[in-house]
Amino acid sequence: MKAAFPYIGYHTFALKDFLTALGAEVCLPPPLTKRTLELGAKYSPEMVCLPFKITLGNFIEALEKGADTLFMAAGARKCRFGYYHYLQERILKELGYQFRFYPVSQYSPYEFIFEKMPQIFAVSPTQVLKALYLMIKKSELCENFKNCLRVIRAIDYQRSLEFEKEYLKKIENAKRIKEINILNKELKRIRKNWLKENRIKLKVGLVGEIYFLLEDFANQELEKELGKLGVLVLSKRSLYSRLKHLLKIEKEFLKIYYYAKKYLAVSPGGEAIHTIGETIDFIKKGVDGIIHIFPFTCMPENIVLHSLEKISEDYNIPILSLSFDEHTSKTGILTRVEAFLELLKRRKRNGNSIYWN
Amino acid sequence: MATVYIGIDVGSISTKGVVLDNNFNVITYEYLRTRGRPVEAVLNLIRIFKERIGNNVKFGGVGTTGSGRRLASVIVGADIVKNEIIAHAVAASHFYPNCQTVIEIGGQDSKIIILRNGIPVDFAMNTVCAAGTGSFLDHQAQRLGIPIEEFGKLALKAKTKVNIAGRCTVFAESDMIHKAQLGFPIESIIAGLCDAIVRNYLNVVAKGKEIKPLILFQGGVAANVGVREAFKRELKEEIIVPEYFLVMGAIGAAILAKEETNGYESKFYGFEISNYNFETKAIECDGCANRCEIIHTYRNEELIDIYGDRCGKWSGG
Repeated sequence: MKAAFPYIGYHTFALKDFLTALGAEVCLPPPLTKRTLELGAKYSPEMVCLPFKITLGNFIEALEKGADTLFMAAGARKCRFGYYHYLQERILKELGYQFRFYPVSQYSPYEFIFEKMPQIFAVSPTQVLKALYLMIKKSELCENFKNCLRVIRAIDYQRSLEFEKEYLKKIENAKRIKEINILNKELKRIRKNWLKENRIKLKVGLVGEIYFLLEDFANQELEKELGKLGVLVLSKRSLYSRLKHLLKIEKEFLKIYYYAKKYLAVSPGGEAIHTIGETIDFIKKGVDGIIHIFPFTCMPENIVLHSLEKISEDYNIPILSLSFDEHTSKTGILTRVEAFLELLKRRKRNGNSIYWN
Repeated sequence: MATVYIGIDVGSISTKGVVLDNNFNVITYEYLRTRGRPVEAVLNLIRIFKERIGNNVKFGGVGTTGSGRRLASVIVGADIVKNEIIAHAVAASHFYPNCQTVIEIGGQDSKIIILRNGIPVDFAMNTVCAAGTGSFLDHQAQRLGIPIEEFGKLALKAKTKVNIAGRCTVFAESDMIHKAQLGFPIESIIAGLCDAIVRNYLNVVAKGKEIKPLILFQGGVAANVGVREAFKRELKEEIIVPEYFLVMGAIGAAILAKEETNGYESKFYGFEISNYNFETKAIECDGCANRCEIIHTYRNEELIDIYGDRCGKWSGG
C-alpha cells in the first residue's frame, strides 16, 4: 500500500508516522506550490472553499507520484468539509485515476480504533492504539516546535530560518517515544531561554479555521510575515489539540466553551466555538490584538465575524479578519496586516485606554 | 535654501504627488492618471515638480504610499514606504486634530479609519470586490455618456429618487439599466446610485464602527457632491471635505518622511531621475513548482531591485 493524505502543516509528520506504524508505505505528495493550487482549483466547484481546492490538488499530485491509497478526514458534524471526501473521490475517479479512498470519520474514536483501522491495515486494536499514541506524542512535538519557532521568529528572523531547517529534520527522524520526549524537553527549554530576553514588542492572537491556522501555504505564510515584523504569534489550534478534542480529553475546551457561550449559544459547525472562545482567552491573557483568518465562503467563520465585532467592542481590542481565496494577492493582505500592526503599536505607545471613549 | 518634503501616492487609478515645506504647508500638488503605467506616472510627477519648484531646494525626505508604493520607492529612493491607511490617518489628524472618523473612497478600495485623540485606533477596508468605489462610478458615467466631473451635480437636480441595489456592481448595473428602460430620468438614477454607494459603504465597510464627528471625506470620490450629500443625509452629521482631499495620502506620506529622516539626509535620488530610463522585466523562476514571477527593475540598464520570490533566492531573504 502506498498511502497518501493532504498536507497539514508541520503535523504532516505526525500523520505520516501513524500510517507507517500501521504498516503502510507513505507516499507524501510534493510540497504545496502554485501548481497544487492550480490543479485543485481547475477541478473543483467554483464556490467551494480553499481547503477543498488545495487538498484536491494534493491528491492529484500524490497520485501522479504513484500513491494508490488516499486518506481524507470526514465527519458530517463539522461543516460541509465533512462531505468533501464524497466529491473528491468522484472527481478523482472521473479524472481516470485508480486508487482506494478511505474517508476517516473524526467523531467516532471507538469505530476508528476497533473497526476501521484494523480492517484497512489488518492489525489488532492494540497496534492501532500504539500508533495513535505515537501520533499524539508526535503532534505534541510539532506543536512545541511551532511555538518555539514563533518566539524565535519574533526576536531574530534570520536565526529562526536556521532553527527551522535544523529541527524539522530532527523531528522528522524522531520515531520513538523516547526520542520524541527528549526533543520535547529540548524545545521547551529553548523557548524559555528566548523568552527570558524579553524582547517581544507585540503579541497577536491568531484564531480562525483550523486548516488555515496549520497550513502556512494556505494562509500565504502569514505567520512568517508577522514574525518578520517582530510580532509574537499565539495560537492554540494544532493537530495535537484537535486529537485531544476528538478523544474528549481536551481540558481547555470547558473554558473555551464557557467563554464562547455568551456570544454564540449554539455551534453553527466548524470551529466557530473555538474561534470565539480562544479570542476571549487571548484577550484575557493580554495580547495586543487578534487576527482572524478563514477561507472565503466559509459559513461558520462568517457567522463568527459578527460575534467578533461585539467582542472587539466589549473588550476594546482591535480584531482584523482576513478571508482567503485562491487569488487573494499577498499585497492586499500585507497592506492590512501592516496597518493593523501600526495601529497596535500606536495604541500601545499611548496607553491602551485613555483615548477610547 | 528651503527644505521640502515629497509625498507620492501611487494608486490603482491615479498617482498623486505633493511637495510640502518645513511646516507641512502644501507648496504644490499634482493628480495624474496611473493608466496602468506606474513608473511613467511617478516620473511625470517628478518632472512636473522639477518645473514648478526648480532645483534650488534641499530635499528633507520622500515618502511613498498606495498600492504601488514599493515600486515607487525603488524608483525615487524613498525614506519611508507606508501603507495608505496610516498615511491617510496622519494627514487627516494633521489638518483636523479633532477628527474622529475618516471616510476614504478611492479608485479600487474604500476604507474607514477611526481616530481618537489623533491616533488611529481602528480601521476597515473593503474586502473582496470594488463595489461602490471610484472605478465603478467612472464606468457608469462613461456608460451614460456623462463626464465624471458632472456626475455628482446631476444627482442634486433629481426630483424623485430611484432605489438601486448597491451591494454588487453587477446587480447595480442591471438595476440601473432596468430603471432607465422604465423611463426614469437620468438625474434620478444617478441620485439613486449615489445613495446606493453610501449605503453599501456603511453596511459593508463601516459595519460595526462607531462613526463620530468630526467626519472627513477624502479620496477621489469626495469630489462627487452627490455622494457627499448622500453621506450627510444618511449620517445626519456634517461631512468635511478637506481642501486637499485628492492628495491626503501623499501628504501623509510626506509627513511620515519628515518623521523618518528627522533632520538626517534623505535617500532621494533627486529630480534628475526624471531623465533616467527605467525598465521592469518579469521573469519566471523555474527553481520549483511555485514558478514565482520575479520583477527586475533597471535604471539606465543598471539592475537596482529584485522582487517577487517566495524563497529569497533572488532577493536575498
